[in-house]
Amino acid sequence: MTEADYEYAVREHQGLVYSIALNFFHNAATAEEVGQEVFLKLYESRRAVEPGAHCVAWLRRTTVHRCIDTLRRASFRQEVQVEQMPEVPVEAPETDPLLQEGLRRLIASLPEKPRAVMVLRFGEDMDPEEIGRTLQMPVRTVWSHLQRATAMIREKAARYRMEIEDEPTRTRSS
Amino acid sequence: MNQLERDLREALRRTQAPPHFAEKVLARTRQSRTPRFPWAWLAAAALILLMVGGVGIVREQQRQAEGERAKEQLMVAFRITGSKLRDVQEKLVTIPQRALQRSEQ
Repeated sequence: MTEADYEYAVREHQGLVYSIALNFFHNAATAEEVGQEVFLKLYESRRAVEPGAHCVAWLRRTTVHRCIDTLRRASFRQEVQVEQMPEVPVEAPETDPLLQEGLRRLIASLPEKPRAVMVLRFGEDMDPEEIGRTLQMPVRTVWSHLQRATAMIREKAARYRMEIEDEPTRTRSS
Repeated sequence: MNQLERDLREALRRTQAPPHFAEKVLARTRQSRTPRFPWAWLAAAALILLMVGGVGIVREQQRQAEGERAKEQLMVAFRITGSKLRDVQEKLVTIPQRALQRSEQ
Protein backbone atom coordinates (compact mmCIF):
# COMPACT_ATOMS: atom_id res chain seq x y z
CA MET A 1 0.00 0.00 0.00
CA THR A 2 1.43 3.34 -1.07
CA GLU A 3 1.10 6.66 0.80
CA ALA A 4 -1.68 7.63 -1.62
CA ASP A 5 -3.49 4.32 -0.97
CA TYR A 6 -3.20 5.01 2.73
CA GLU A 7 -4.74 8.48 2.45
CA TYR A 8 -7.54 7.03 0.34
CA ALA A 9 -8.13 4.26 2.90
CA VAL A 10 -8.37 6.81 5.74
CA ARG A 11 -10.98 8.86 3.88
CA GLU A 12 -12.88 5.88 2.48
CA HIS A 13 -13.01 3.65 5.57
CA GLN A 14 -13.13 6.16 8.42
CA GLY A 15 -16.84 5.43 8.89
CA LEU A 16 -16.24 1.69 9.10
CA VAL A 17 -13.56 1.99 11.78
CA TYR A 18 -15.37 4.68 13.74
CA SER A 19 -18.70 2.81 13.67
CA ILE A 20 -17.21 -0.43 14.97
CA ALA A 21 -15.50 1.43 17.83
CA LEU A 22 -18.59 3.50 18.57
CA ASN A 23 -20.85 0.44 18.64
CA PHE A 24 -18.34 -1.31 20.86
CA PHE A 25 -17.94 1.48 23.44
CA HIS A 26 -21.06 3.59 22.93
CA ASN A 27 -18.75 6.52 23.59
CA ALA A 28 -17.80 8.97 20.82
CA ALA A 29 -14.51 10.19 22.35
CA THR A 30 -13.20 6.66 22.92
CA ALA A 31 -14.35 5.61 19.45
CA GLU A 32 -12.46 8.53 17.88
CA GLU A 33 -9.29 7.77 19.83
CA VAL A 34 -9.42 4.07 18.96
CA GLY A 35 -10.15 4.95 15.31
CA GLN A 36 -7.10 7.20 15.11
CA GLU A 37 -4.90 4.53 16.67
CA VAL A 38 -6.13 1.96 14.17
CA PHE A 39 -5.24 4.18 11.21
CA LEU A 40 -1.81 4.97 12.69
CA LYS A 41 -1.28 1.23 13.00
CA LEU A 42 -2.36 0.86 9.37
CA TYR A 43 0.27 3.41 8.39
CA GLU A 44 2.94 1.46 10.26
CA SER A 45 1.83 -1.80 8.62
CA ARG A 46 1.04 -0.34 5.17
CA ARG A 47 3.72 -2.39 3.42
CA ALA A 48 2.01 -5.61 4.51
CA VAL A 49 -1.54 -4.48 3.67
CA GLU A 50 -3.01 -4.63 0.19
CA PRO A 51 -5.51 -1.95 -0.83
CA GLY A 52 -9.15 -3.01 -1.26
CA ALA A 53 -10.75 -6.04 0.36
CA HIS A 54 -7.60 -7.00 2.25
CA CYS A 55 -7.41 -3.52 3.74
CA VAL A 56 -11.09 -3.64 4.81
CA ALA A 57 -10.63 -7.03 6.49
CA TRP A 58 -7.43 -5.76 8.16
CA LEU A 59 -9.23 -2.65 9.45
CA ARG A 60 -12.16 -4.64 10.85
CA ARG A 61 -9.87 -7.13 12.57
CA THR A 62 -7.52 -4.49 13.95
CA THR A 63 -10.35 -2.25 15.13
CA VAL A 64 -12.07 -5.04 17.04
CA HIS A 65 -8.81 -6.18 18.63
CA ARG A 66 -7.89 -2.61 19.52
CA CYS A 67 -11.33 -2.14 21.10
CA ILE A 68 -10.86 -5.27 23.21
CA ASP A 69 -7.34 -4.16 24.21
CA THR A 70 -8.58 -0.69 25.15
CA LEU A 71 -11.41 -2.18 27.16
CA ARG A 72 -9.01 -4.41 29.10
CA ARG A 73 -6.31 -1.75 29.52
CA ALA A 74 -8.43 1.13 30.69
CA SER A 75 -10.69 -0.87 32.98
CA PHE A 76 -13.59 0.15 30.83
CA ARG A 77 -15.06 -3.19 31.74
CA GLN A 78 -18.79 -2.81 32.03
CA GLU A 79 -19.71 -6.46 31.86
CA VAL A 80 -22.96 -6.97 33.64
CA GLN A 81 -25.30 -9.80 34.35
CA VAL A 82 -28.63 -10.01 32.58
CA GLU A 83 -30.30 -8.69 35.75
CA GLN A 84 -28.14 -5.55 35.70
CA MET A 85 -28.62 -4.75 32.05
CA PRO A 86 -30.53 -1.63 31.13
CA GLU A 87 -34.18 -2.04 30.26
CA VAL A 88 -34.70 -1.91 26.51
CA PRO A 89 -37.91 -1.61 24.57
CA VAL A 90 -37.20 -4.25 21.92
CA GLU A 91 -39.49 -5.28 19.10
CA ALA A 92 -41.40 -2.04 19.02
CA PRO A 93 -43.52 -1.82 15.89
CA GLU A 94 -41.67 1.18 14.49
CA THR A 95 -38.05 2.18 14.77
CA ASP A 96 -37.75 4.80 17.47
CA PRO A 97 -34.73 6.64 18.85
CA LEU A 98 -35.24 5.35 22.38
CA LEU A 99 -35.19 1.78 21.17
CA GLN A 100 -32.02 2.38 19.14
CA GLU A 101 -30.31 4.06 22.06
CA GLY A 102 -31.35 1.27 24.44
CA LEU A 103 -30.04 -1.43 22.11
CA ARG A 104 -26.73 0.37 21.66
CA ARG A 105 -26.31 0.69 25.41
CA LEU A 106 -27.21 -2.94 25.84
CA ILE A 107 -24.66 -4.09 23.24
CA ALA A 108 -21.99 -1.88 24.86
CA SER A 109 -22.66 -3.53 28.22
CA LEU A 110 -22.05 -7.08 26.96
CA PRO A 111 -18.81 -8.94 27.78
CA GLU A 112 -16.04 -8.21 25.25
CA LYS A 113 -16.26 -11.31 23.03
CA PRO A 114 -20.06 -11.43 22.57
CA ARG A 115 -19.97 -7.66 22.13
CA ALA A 116 -17.42 -7.93 19.32
CA VAL A 117 -19.46 -10.71 17.70
CA MET A 118 -22.68 -8.70 17.87
CA VAL A 119 -21.03 -5.54 16.49
CA LEU A 120 -19.56 -7.42 13.53
CA ARG A 121 -22.74 -9.41 12.89
CA PHE A 122 -25.29 -6.62 13.02
CA GLY A 123 -23.13 -3.54 12.47
CA GLU A 124 -20.90 -4.89 9.71
CA ASP A 125 -23.34 -7.53 8.42
CA MET A 126 -20.65 -10.20 8.52
CA ASP A 127 -21.53 -13.89 8.50
CA PRO A 128 -20.37 -16.12 11.37
CA GLU A 129 -17.55 -17.65 9.28
CA GLU A 130 -16.08 -14.20 8.56
CA ILE A 131 -16.49 -13.22 12.21
CA GLY A 132 -14.70 -16.40 13.26
CA ARG A 133 -11.79 -15.59 10.96
CA THR A 134 -11.67 -11.98 12.14
CA LEU A 135 -11.76 -12.80 15.83
CA GLN A 136 -9.76 -16.01 15.43
CA MET A 137 -12.40 -18.14 17.10
CA PRO A 138 -14.28 -21.25 15.97
CA VAL A 139 -17.55 -20.67 14.12
CA ARG A 140 -19.37 -22.69 16.79
CA THR A 141 -18.17 -20.20 19.41
CA VAL A 142 -19.39 -17.33 17.23
CA TRP A 143 -22.83 -18.94 17.01
CA SER A 144 -22.83 -19.55 20.73
CA HIS A 145 -22.01 -15.89 21.49
CA LEU A 146 -24.67 -14.74 19.03
CA GLN A 147 -27.36 -16.95 20.52
CA ARG A 148 -26.53 -16.09 24.11
CA ALA A 149 -26.31 -12.36 23.48
CA THR A 150 -29.55 -12.35 21.51
CA ALA A 151 -31.24 -14.37 24.25
CA MET A 152 -30.08 -11.82 26.83
CA ILE A 153 -31.60 -9.01 24.80
CA ARG A 154 -34.82 -10.97 24.28
CA GLU A 155 -35.07 -11.61 28.01
CA LYS A 156 -34.71 -7.92 28.66
CA ALA A 157 -37.32 -7.19 26.04
CA ALA A 158 -39.74 -9.65 27.61
CA ARG A 159 -39.31 -8.04 31.02
CA TYR A 160 -39.77 -4.65 29.48
CA ARG A 161 -43.00 -5.75 27.82
CA MET A 162 -44.28 -7.20 31.07
CA GLU A 163 -43.55 -3.95 32.85
CA ILE A 164 -45.29 -1.97 30.15
CA GLU A 165 -48.35 -4.27 30.37
CA ASP A 166 -48.38 -3.98 34.17
CA GLU A 167 -48.06 -0.21 34.10
CA PRO A 168 -51.77 0.65 33.45
CA THR A 169 -52.90 -1.81 36.17
CA ARG A 170 -50.51 -0.26 38.69
CA THR A 171 -51.57 3.24 37.71
CA ARG A 172 -55.26 2.33 38.12
CA SER A 173 -54.77 0.60 41.48
CA SER A 174 -52.81 3.54 42.90
CA MET B 1 -34.86 -12.13 9.83
CA ASN B 2 -37.01 -11.32 12.87
CA GLN B 3 -37.89 -7.92 14.27
CA LEU B 4 -35.17 -8.05 16.92
CA GLU B 5 -32.49 -8.65 14.29
CA ARG B 6 -33.85 -5.81 12.19
CA ASP B 7 -33.77 -3.53 15.20
CA LEU B 8 -30.21 -4.56 16.03
CA ARG B 9 -29.10 -3.85 12.47
CA GLU B 10 -30.78 -0.49 12.60
CA ALA B 11 -29.25 0.37 15.98
CA LEU B 12 -25.75 -0.66 14.91
CA ARG B 13 -25.88 0.70 11.38
CA ARG B 14 -22.77 2.46 10.14
CA THR B 15 -22.44 6.08 11.22
CA GLN B 16 -20.22 8.75 9.74
CA ALA B 17 -16.99 9.59 11.45
CA PRO B 18 -16.97 13.01 13.14
CA PRO B 19 -15.97 16.00 11.00
CA HIS B 20 -12.21 16.38 10.45
CA PHE B 21 -11.59 12.83 11.66
CA ALA B 22 -9.61 11.97 8.52
CA GLU B 23 -7.66 15.25 8.72
CA LYS B 24 -6.76 14.55 12.35
CA VAL B 25 -5.60 11.04 11.45
CA LEU B 26 -3.50 12.30 8.54
CA ALA B 27 -2.01 15.07 10.72
CA ARG B 28 -1.04 12.51 13.37
CA THR B 29 0.41 10.31 10.63
CA ARG B 30 2.53 13.20 9.33
CA GLN B 31 3.64 13.91 12.90
CA SER B 32 4.72 10.31 13.37
CA ARG B 33 6.63 10.49 10.06
CA THR B 34 8.82 13.49 11.03
CA PRO B 35 11.97 12.32 12.74
CA ARG B 36 12.04 13.31 16.36
CA PHE B 37 15.10 14.79 18.05
CA PRO B 38 17.13 11.78 19.10
CA TRP B 39 16.93 12.32 22.85
CA ALA B 40 17.47 8.64 23.49
CA TRP B 41 20.66 8.58 21.46
CA LEU B 42 21.85 11.78 23.13
CA ALA B 43 21.21 10.32 26.58
CA ALA B 44 23.01 7.10 25.64
CA ALA B 45 26.02 9.06 24.33
CA ALA B 46 26.14 11.16 27.52
CA LEU B 47 25.99 8.01 29.61
CA ILE B 48 28.85 6.43 27.66
CA LEU B 49 30.92 9.63 28.02
CA LEU B 50 30.28 9.68 31.76
CA MET B 51 31.25 6.01 32.08
CA VAL B 52 34.44 6.47 30.03
CA GLY B 53 35.30 9.65 31.97
CA GLY B 54 34.62 7.93 35.27
CA VAL B 55 36.84 4.99 34.37
CA GLY B 56 39.60 7.43 33.31
CA ILE B 57 39.39 9.33 36.61
CA VAL B 58 39.52 6.13 38.64
CA ARG B 59 42.52 4.90 36.66
CA GLU B 60 44.32 8.24 37.14
CA GLN B 61 43.67 8.08 40.89
CA GLN B 62 45.00 4.51 41.01
CA ARG B 63 48.12 5.58 39.08
CA GLN B 64 48.72 8.48 41.47
CA ALA B 65 48.30 6.22 44.50
CA GLU B 66 50.77 3.72 43.03
CA GLY B 67 53.25 6.57 42.38
CA GLU B 68 52.89 7.75 45.97
CA ARG B 69 53.52 4.23 47.26
CA ALA B 70 56.60 3.84 45.06
CA LYS B 71 57.91 7.22 46.23
CA GLU B 72 57.49 6.24 49.88
CA GLN B 73 59.24 2.92 49.29
CA LEU B 74 62.11 4.75 47.58
CA MET B 75 62.41 7.17 50.49
CA VAL B 76 62.51 4.26 52.95
CA ALA B 77 65.17 2.61 50.81
CA PHE B 78 67.20 5.85 50.77
CA ARG B 79 66.90 6.18 54.53
CA ILE B 80 68.05 2.58 55.07
CA THR B 81 70.89 3.01 52.62
CA GLY B 82 71.86 6.31 54.28
CA SER B 83 72.06 4.77 57.73
CA LYS B 84 74.08 1.81 56.40
CA LEU B 85 76.48 4.17 54.70
CA ARG B 86 76.88 6.11 57.94
CA ASP B 87 77.67 2.85 59.78
CA VAL B 88 80.26 1.89 57.17
CA GLN B 89 81.76 5.38 57.24
CA GLU B 90 82.07 5.26 61.02
CA LYS B 91 83.77 1.87 60.80
CA LEU B 92 86.15 3.15 58.16
CA VAL B 93 87.08 6.08 60.35
CA THR B 94 87.80 3.85 63.34
CA ILE B 95 89.89 1.24 61.43
CA PRO B 96 93.02 3.40 60.80
CA GLN B 97 93.00 4.56 64.43
CA ARG B 98 92.99 0.94 65.70
CA ALA B 99 95.78 -0.04 63.24
CA LEU B 100 97.85 2.90 64.49
CA GLN B 101 97.32 1.90 68.10
CA ARG B 102 98.39 -1.71 67.31
CA SER B 103 101.57 -0.61 65.50
CA GLU B 104 102.48 1.64 68.41
CA GLN B 105 102.20 -1.30 70.78
